[in-house]
Amino acid sequence: MTDPEPAVGPEHQPGTVSQPEHAADSMIELAHVGKIFPGSARPAVGDLSFVVPEGEIAVLIGPSGCGKSTTLRMINRLIEPTSGTITVAGRDVHAVPAHELRLGIGYVIQQAGLFPHRTIAQNIGTVPRLLGWDKQRVGGRVDELMELVGLEQDLAERYPSELSGGQQQRVGVARALAADPPVLLMDEPFGAVDPIVRARLQGELLSLQQRLHKTILFVTHDIDEAIRLGDRMAVLNVGGVLEQYGPPTEVLAAPASEFVVEFLGAERGLKRLSLIPVSEAKLDPGPVVASSSSTSDARAVLDRERSDWVVVVDDGRLLGWVGEADLGPGTGRVGDAPVRPFAIRLRRQATLREALDTLISSPNRVAVVVDDDDRYLGLLDVTRIGDEIETVDP
Amino acid sequence: MTPGSVLADEPLVRWDWVGDHLRYIWNLLVQHLELTFIAVGIGFAIAFVLALIALQWRPVYTPVNAVTGIMYAIPSLALFVLLVPITGLTTLTAEIALVSYTLQILFRSIVAGVDGVPDSVRESAAGMGYTRRRQLWTIELPLAVPVIMSGLRVATVTTVGLVPIAGYLGSDQGGLGQLIFTGLNRFFNTPLLVGAVLTVALAVVLDLTIVSVQRALTPWARRRGAES
Repeated sequence: MTDPEPAVGPEHQPGTVSQPEHAADSMIELAHVGKIFPGSARPAVGDLSFVVPEGEIAVLIGPSGCGKSTTLRMINRLIEPTSGTITVAGRDVHAVPAHELRLGIGYVIQQAGLFPHRTIAQNIGTVPRLLGWDKQRVGGRVDELMELVGLEQDLAERYPSELSGGQQQRVGVARALAADPPVLLMDEPFGAVDPIVRARLQGELLSLQQRLHKTILFVTHDIDEAIRLGDRMAVLNVGGVLEQYGPPTEVLAAPASEFVVEFLGAERGLKRLSLIPVSEAKLDPGPVVASSSSTSDARAVLDRERSDWVVVVDDGRLLGWVGEADLGPGTGRVGDAPVRPFAIRLRRQATLREALDTLISSPNRVAVVVDDDDRYLGLLDVTRIGDEIETVDP
Repeated sequence: MTPGSVLADEPLVRWDWVGDHLRYIWNLLVQHLELTFIAVGIGFAIAFVLALIALQWRPVYTPVNAVTGIMYAIPSLALFVLLVPITGLTTLTAEIALVSYTLQILFRSIVAGVDGVPDSVRESAAGMGYTRRRQLWTIELPLAVPVIMSGLRVATVTTVGLVPIAGYLGSDQGGLGQLIFTGLNRFFNTPLLVGAVLTVALAVVLDLTIVSVQRALTPWARRRGAES
């Protein structure tokens, strides 16, 4: 797809080399896309190529002037590229009139851009109405979407100005999803709400995405938002130069250039920790005994591990820990000794950053990690988290 | 010679005269309303077309604004003098003058109303697949209603106040202006006061009517911030 000719008709044959292998899984594809605004000497976007696979969230991030919004708007042709080709779902975006193209692409912008003179229900039903759905079908879809994004039904007949910023943004997302488009474009959608609401909306978007599997291109200047939401992130430099494109963990672990290092900022290692679940870290198996074991077995474990306490499990499930002094001199079973609960107990999905935060704000030096069924997985301490940070800066 | 010295002998209002001329006064009031409605209606239609052209094609704005501005600046009596040789002492003359005074305020308010639509609304409408035309008619113009209506209020009240001057064109012109001219010519307080008071009352009533129409048309602008 190196053909710089933007005028490709609907009967345009896809390139013979690259197209077939991408066709299966790439939903948005940019090939050598450039934009020079009239009267401007420097391109807003240089020669940009990247692919967003189907069902993934790709985040465009960079400083102001990096062309991230311009890039997004070229995909739904609110801005026309001066060179290159953009395909959505395997079809050149210039194959159909702009307004038809846009009916098939969800679009969410900052401050939602809701229509002030239309009720919430009417706003959400916008695209279905444009597509000519009958009233009943639109109404049913609106109810469904309000439920999906967590809006109370009694808001349906309200006007946008009567809603909070967070609610308006939910309406914006519902409206974009109304006709079930495979692709969503989101231009700093959570930029105008306060940090608490933003974090909640991000969480809601991720859980929506788990159910809907849309292909989402998301523009932000907030690095933490990019890391949290992106399956992959594209770091853009001024003039629309793609510095690096990859999963956030990869970008954080191995920034491709000095620019990316600077852009990611000082807490790169910490940010990376927020992407790694504790289950992926090298956990310490620790001193562990079954509650049915004899106390002499437990003492043997303590000697071997040079520890003064031991983890107690029952058929794999975590019960707690027992101190050496509590085992007593006798020969009973470990389960008869007083088993104490761990102060820090982490689920396997918890991130290493959460683990670190808990560990450093607690007098305990060790956290226990369990899975969803409370089965013991291992122990985690600050030193082990430190090992993970070190892999960032070789 | 001041009419006041003569009028001073009269009571302020001779109610018997009013009682005898109720039908006449009513007819003048209706004519006043007709002249106003026709002037504002035609003025709005012309201004609306001009505004649509200017919105589509920006360079048109400045010349239209300039020409309608000059029309607005010509003194009304001078305009009648200019028009009488062409259109005679007719309602047409009166309406041409009255319409020309409404054009600038209406043109500017329609353009300003549409321009005032937030960019985020425009962008999301375009991004969702509205055609340019549909966006203008179903999103931008409805949102411009409050600004357009405020222009309409000014144009209407101004026209109500200008209609009496058309009374110069003859005894069948000028609506309530006839009463004012009769009073001035005959140094007779009663018709002058009745004409002036009814003209003001008409302006107030029409203004309030437009306000309530606007409120009915824009429920979304009223319920702002109802939710805490």
